[in-house]
Amino acid sequence: MNIVVAIKHIPSIADDLPVKGNNVDFDSVDFVLNEWDEHSIEQAVLIKEAVGGTVTVIGVDLIGELDNALHLALAKGADKVVKITADDPAADSHMQAKWLSEAIKGMGADMVFAGVQASNDLDGQIGPMIAAYLDMPYIGGVSSIEANGDSATVNKEFAGGAGAKYSVHMPFVAGVQSAPKPPRYAPVSKVRQMAQSATVEKVAPSGDASSGLAFKKMAPPVVTGHAEMIEGSSKEVAAKIVELLKSKGLA
Amino acid sequence: MLTTIEKIIFIVLAITAAGFTFHGFKVIIDSIRKGRPAPELKDVPGSLVKAAIAVLFQQTIFKARKVLSAIHMGLFFGLITYAVVNLVDVLEGLVPGFELVYGGVHLPNAPTGLINAFNLIADVMSGFLLIAITTFLVRRFIVKDKALTFRDNVLLNPKVKAGGQARDSLTVGVFVIMHVGARLMSQAFRLTEGADPFMPIASFLNSIFGASETGVHVAWWISLGWVMFIIPYLSRSKHTHFFMSPVNLGLAKQNPRGQLDPAIPLKVIEGQKYDPGAKVIYDLAWTRVMDAYACVQCNRCQDVCPANFYQRPLSPSALEVNKRYLLKEATFGSHPEKLLLPLTETVISPEAVWSCTTCYACVRVCPVGNEPMADIVDIRRRMLIDGYEIDSGVQNALQSLATNGNWMSKGKRLRGRWAKEMEFPVKNATEEPVEHLWFVGDTASFDERVIPNTKMVARLFNQGGLDFGIMYQNESNSGNDVRRVGEEGLFEQLVEQNMAAFGKAQFKQIVTTDPHSFNTLKNEYPQFGGTFEVKHYTVTLLKLIEEGKLTIKNKLSNYKVTFHDPCYLGRYNGGFTAPRKLLELLGVEFVEMPRNCENSFCCGAGGGQIWMGKVAPGERPAENRIKEALTTFGEGANAKTQLFIVTCPKDMVMYSDAVKTTGNEGKIEVRDIIQLVAEAVGVEMPLEAEAVAA
Repeated sequence: MNIVVAIKHIPSIADDLPVKGNNVDFDSVDFVLNEWDEHSIEQAVLIKEAVGGTVTVIGVDLIGELDNALHLALAKGADKVVKITADDPAADSHMQAKWLSEAIKGMGADMVFAGVQASNDLDGQIGPMIAAYLDMPYIGGVSSIEANGDSATVNKEFAGGAGAKYSVHMPFVAGVQSAPKPPRYAPVSKVRQMAQSATVEKVAPSGDASSGLAFKKMAPPVVTGHAEMIEGSSKEVAAKIVELLKSKGLA
Repeated sequence: MLTTIEKIIFIVLAITAAGFTFHGFKVIIDSIRKGRPAPELKDVPGSLVKAAIAVLFQQTIFKARKVLSAIHMGLFFGLITYAVVNLVDVLEGLVPGFELVYGGVHLPNAPTGLINAFNLIADVMSGFLLIAITTFLVRRFIVKDKALTFRDNVLLNPKVKAGGQARDSLTVGVFVIMHVGARLMSQAFRLTEGADPFMPIASFLNSIFGASETGVHVAWWISLGWVMFIIPYLSRSKHTHFFMSPVNLGLAKQNPRGQLDPAIPLKVIEGQKYDPGAKVIYDLAWTRVMDAYACVQCNRCQDVCPANFYQRPLSPSALEVNKRYLLKEATFGSHPEKLLLPLTETVISPEAVWSCTTCYACVRVCPVGNEPMADIVDIRRRMLIDGYEIDSGVQNALQSLATNGNWMSKGKRLRGRWAKEMEFPVKNATEEPVEHLWFVGDTASFDERVIPNTKMVARLFNQGGLDFGIMYQNESNSGNDVRRVGEEGLFEQLVEQNMAAFGKAQFKQIVTTDPHSFNTLKNEYPQFGGTFEVKHYTVTLLKLIEEGKLTIKNKLSNYKVTFHDPCYLGRYNGGFTAPRKLLELLGVEFVEMPRNCENSFCCGAGGGQIWMGKVAPGERPAENRIKEALTTFGEGANAKTQLFIVTCPKDMVMYSDAVKTTGNEGKIEVRDIIQLVAEAVGVEMPLEAEAVAA
């Protein structure tokens, strides 16, 4: 089983997001791995543990700091890691999907996983576009994948908690919503061991694509109101709530 | 006294007993030697002598259970006396005409006074022994003291469950009664000329049973024949304690309490490869394999364990008991393969492993120098490496610590935000030299409920003219609790980050708000090259007041307060006096809770517990502590405001919460000592409201 996981490095929102010009100030923001990608890595490693095979994790190195995320993937059980040396923090998902597809093309993947979306642009495009470029079927919103021979049983989630079970022929691309188990913890000593011993394969970006969209303006949210704390005993609080609801014409 | 045949039988028995005993201890020592190298012990003869003195005066048992300890003391002195008594009895049996009754009247040139003294001591001690052992048997079998039992959810070796410990106790208890009783009788039967004033108990028995030559033989054999069976038995029972406790105490941890053993031994035996932490029993340091043999299973550690109180499946004593039974089955029994079973199946359940708050109460209270807590940390270390599925809250905290340097998923740059909001500039210690480098810690830096106190510390430092600075985004979590959760690699990473930051800074000493940071900076960073003086803010504040740099303007006599010793300031580092001295200077009415100083009761947050996503049902340690404080304050109307004073940011969070969940708002209020100092000193409050948010 040859599984390729495409990951995405995105600006961290642990800090206040700094804005410069019409985009994020990439020089003063940390980059982290997209949360959904942690699930696709976990899903890939779970399949490998169940039926064997290799897991390759590949991502676009936007600011020269992707190694951390790749070492983490190795510590969690990936076998091979590849970075596309783009050095362009503003590369959008269309661009990244093109570069990823070109790099994945020759890998002979049975399955390609991508996080169903990333929290920076929330457009969920990378998976479907890779599928289009590689001419493979795409299934998104996936909550578990089991490989059996040359097909896989895929659970997909719909709104409202409804689920559906699909049988998908390989090769295919899956947009992973969540792994069946929470992503595992990789002890730092293992990550550091990987950082010392493992090699990260480098690939130059190849191809060109664009969403055709350009940022006109980016601004931090303007605080327009704030929560009002109602204090007092439970009776007083209840009375005030009723009063408030009345004043808004809701009761 | 003995006939030739009897002598031969006795000597053969003695040699056989010696053989079995030697074999028993050889098995024990061999198994201890299979443990990993322990941190180097210095001046072993000196420590052994110190331990011998402690044992002689029974110093270590009196940390808890004073009455039972006094009885234990009687038992101990009785048995020590009996070692000599038995020797004399053997001589009486083997040497013709050697008899000590009536001051050794039949012996030529007998030192009568000495013999009378010996007889008196032996006689009275026999009485003590019988009383002491009976008390213990009554306690276990008739009163059925709950302290000697385990919670149902605690993992126990099947043999313990089947009552192995009780059988051990009964065997040795009955032995002592038979042995001592028969010895008294053998002396009573010797009193052919009526009472001997130096043998009151034997004389009393003589007055009932009279003298008898046959009686002497029978009683002698019952008394000393028993010994020949019981001595080899001791090496195979929990009473190995008699021999191993003093040794264990002499070889107990010498490093500071706040310094954990490394995950991999520093001193590596050639050709040996070690994985971090402990999976099987011989992954433990040899000193901690020995713990199992020293433990007499008194459960003092269980009494003080906050996790056990909280009905978690953790009992530090069960850990040692299970180790002992595992070793016994494997080394004396026929199950050596059990040594390869994971400790999490044989000794302690995974859930129990993750319930420990690393408060050190179990290690502190142990009379024989055992360290069950250290075993738990070692087991955590290996579980993490082996990919055990840890609590999601702990995992999130660790992941955030690895990426952000704090457990609260906040960006590094936000760490110093509170300082930027101050009405005066707070120096950046990595950019300009300061005298005091203030290591603020995660909770004090990020938690909205605690930040007002953090700002108050800054104001008082400023007002006291203290030259201080913080490291802003260069500070990372100190790693104290990361290490205790078992994430040694992440701990090392955090230490490296902080050491790099310290390297950029110029300072004379470090001051911390958080006792946890205080502990690791003081006790563990030196191993990574961090040799600096570290002070807790209570000490720094006290100094400012004592030097007159801060003046107390208002005495706070309207407050009645009690003080909670944080584990990592108090029990770990002996920081008991500074906070109490401060409170005294502030003029509050101070009352001490029953559990104070060394015996303080953990709030339940340490060792990563504060990160746990799952909260177990039942009364939490912090809630119990608030009730303890209220009981201490006493019932009835109190004109004064009752305050629960803390000196740890985590305590602020834990106890404020516990006051609410126990429904005691209005009766007791949790305050950081800094709030009182500020009130007494008269800090000008900034315009913004600074009440601790609800």
